[in-house]
Amino acid sequence: MENRIDRFVRLSALLTGFAQLHLLGTGMAETYLRATDAALPAGVLDELLAAGSPPSAGSASPGGPALPGAAARPGVSALAGGTDPEAAAGQAILGDAKLGPVARTLILLWYRGAWTALPQEWHSAYGAAPRDVDHVVSAEAYQAGLQWDAAGAHPAGARQQGYGAWASPPAALETESAPGTTAVRLPRQAGAPTVTEGARS
Amino acid sequence: MTEAAEHEEYDVVIAGAGVNGALIAKHLTHAGFRVLVLEAGPGSAWSLDGYSRHLDHFYAAASKGPESPWPPAVAAPQPDTADIRSGAGYFVQSGPDKYGSSYTRAQGGSTLHWLGVCLRMLPEDFELRSRFGVGHDWPLRYGDLEPYYGRAEHEIGVAADVADQAHHGIEFPDGYDYPMRRIPLSFSDQVLADTIDGMRVTLEGESIALQVRSYPAGRNSVPRGAYQPVGAVDADVDRHDMITHLGERCAGNTSCTPICPIEAKYNAGKTLAQADRGKLRVLAQAVVSKVSVDPVSGMVDGIEYQRYADPASPRHTVHTARGRVYVLAAHAVENAKILLASGLGGDHSLIGKGLIDHPALYAWGLSPVPVGAYRGPLSTAGIEDLRAGAFRARHAAFRFDIGNDGWRATTGGPDSSVVDAVTKQGLHGTKLRAHLAATLPRHVRFSLAVEQLRSEANAVTIDPRHVDAMGNPRPVISYHIDDYTTGGMAAAAEVARQVFRQAGIEDCTDPEAGGWFPSVRRDGEVFRYHGMGHFGGTHVMGHRAGESVVDTHQRSWEHRNLYVVGSGSFPTMGTSNPTLTMAALALRTAEHMTEALAARQPIRQGEPSGF
Repeated sequence: MENRIDRFVRLSALLTGFAQLHLLGTGMAETYLRATDAALPAGVLDELLAAGSPPSAGSASPGGPALPGAAARPGVSALAGGTDPEAAAGQAILGDAKLGPVARTLILLWYRGAWTALPQEWHSAYGAAPRDVDHVVSAEAYQAGLQWDAAGAHPAGARQQGYGAWASPPAALETESAPGTTAVRLPRQAGAPTVTEGARS
Repeated sequence: MTEAAEHEEYDVVIAGAGVNGALIAKHLTHAGFRVLVLEAGPGSAWSLDGYSRHLDHFYAAASKGPESPWPPAVAAPQPDTADIRSGAGYFVQSGPDKYGSSYTRAQGGSTLHWLGVCLRMLPEDFELRSRFGVGHDWPLRYGDLEPYYGRAEHEIGVAADVADQAHHGIEFPDGYDYPMRRIPLSFSDQVLADTIDGMRVTLEGESIALQVRSYPAGRNSVPRGAYQPVGAVDADVDRHDMITHLGERCAGNTSCTPICPIEAKYNAGKTLAQADRGKLRVLAQAVVSKVSVDPVSGMVDGIEYQRYADPASPRHTVHTARGRVYVLAAHAVENAKILLASGLGGDHSLIGKGLIDHPALYAWGLSPVPVGAYRGPLSTAGIEDLRAGAFRARHAAFRFDIGNDGWRATTGGPDSSVVDAVTKQGLHGTKLRAHLAATLPRHVRFSLAVEQLRSEANAVTIDPRHVDAMGNPRPVISYHIDDYTTGGMAAAAEVARQVFRQAGIEDCTDPEAGGWFPSVRRDGEVFRYHGMGHFGGTHVMGHRAGESVVDTHQRSWEHRNLYVVGSGSFPTMGTSNPTLTMAALALRTAEHMTEALAARQPIRQGEPSGF
């Protein structure tokens, strides 16, 4: 049976384009789940998780019954069956007035390690939690931001690539299996490649 | 608070534990003199634990500007670039233009967050008036400073190859080379060099060929010969323990500014750690508030300082330190502020007057091919060719700094690009990731740092209406960017456009879309500029008392046992970052002070002895 953190990570993979294993490898999943809970009115995150659940898990309602609001939506479950789950999640969630902004904030959370406050209109319509303000979640979260991996780079001030690595071409975009699967992504070689000084001369 | 320092006699009392104060303290203690260093800010960066806390502070900071790891003490406030927009903060900006730079009041000073560029000034920079009919000449020539440049490069630990640097008339002695090999050029530098090396631009009718050139950097690389790189410092202030770790090479953290996580980049704490600790006393959290002068002799007879225990509180006790010789090495602005607050100078004094900077423009774009942005030292190369030339008779010279940090400084990338892709373009999932992978590594950034000439209207003053929490004056800054500099800005912006075209880089320069920067106008064109942190000119050096504040040894004309040191002594700054030149001057001053203290007699006939 799928627990809440698993559902959070699975949905996060669909939203971010990074495999679940990669997300778990950041060590930030539980921290982000807590940060998200703290920044949203009660029940909103579960609504989002329910909307992002695939048919098998969704109908079985693991982790509690789906909320009424979520059940009324054409969730991923309704659109599944051969459809690209990522596109389905996008259609079901990102276009939704209530869940869309939350999902986008979740994407930014994973990419930046920072929470981005929801818009004022959203607060007016759905309520506000005290922690829904712009903030870096933690020193670790900043360093775990996916944006640096997407760039083939490293967070400024951490996870540096080693002396002279900057003289080599950036890593090519590493291909990964479809998000949601457990493809293993090998880390880049930590050591610096040999630097050929005078390569331009 | 017990204050042992107050009851001890020192040969030299130094205000400021930045690069100037540290170099002078190191050399005078090794010459056998007892030195007290008073530092206004906290000394926390001097221990590994403390330094790590600053690093964590940076990681968790929402805004990662130059000051983000270095929060000020209440007792020692400092300017913050974020204040320029709000108009609040430490500086009182009285205009007409905004002064764009900041500095840090902490042990180690602004070397804690400098980029590390160690360019020598050009021979022609010292002779601007003679050669081009503009600005001022220095009372020193390149040849006078050359030996001290070499020594400064070894004190700081500069990585460069002489073969790259002997241009624009810069000469090195036979057999000289930098203590460490040059830092490898970034992939981005190499891609740019492939497309633009040899292209020509025309300035005031003069055709100049461009080249991407490695610049000297105060970062550890591969040592030459017997040179031993200096690593992270771990000092215990109360005991005399001092560990300097083996100098780790630059690992490419891409955060020279605001903090090098491994101290591969030079900071002044390394120099202070090399002083003779038996002769040195360092008091952090000791704000120099006043220089006391004997009204009869005109000699300084003490320095008043305010000691505080809690960086979060202005509570303090007042003390006086005494020595034979005094050195103000507190920063160009702070030196002027202290002298003015002490009532020194008088109506016709030049103290505080002639404030300069390198107002700089950003240009940013999207390369047609990946250049590997957001990796490596913040910058490893520049375009230096427009630092010299006959055009300097008409407008300012400038230099291009080529960034390895993508659009971080200009738009707040990569975060801003991610936010744009998610919220404006509506991307998510693998499409989002692929979009970022296809664009972020192509981010290119130049900083175009433009020379500024001395004007007495650009000044640091004080005003009793504007004081800090300790009751000390806040610097009031009058600042104007004149046509000579905006002419350089216009030329620099045009060269940037030509370089982008030549390299096929899509020009994305749009100050409205980026961070907020102050602006100046010229012929209807608006230039958004930022400061480079290159303060200078506030206690100018010269040959004669009436025309300058200090002599060529940075010794006060009016108070002969007082030295006022740093970039405040610069009559002009050319286009080079000031740290190396002020380090060379500090070494020259330390040499002179050693001789004067040893002789225990006046330097010249007829001058009162006070040493």
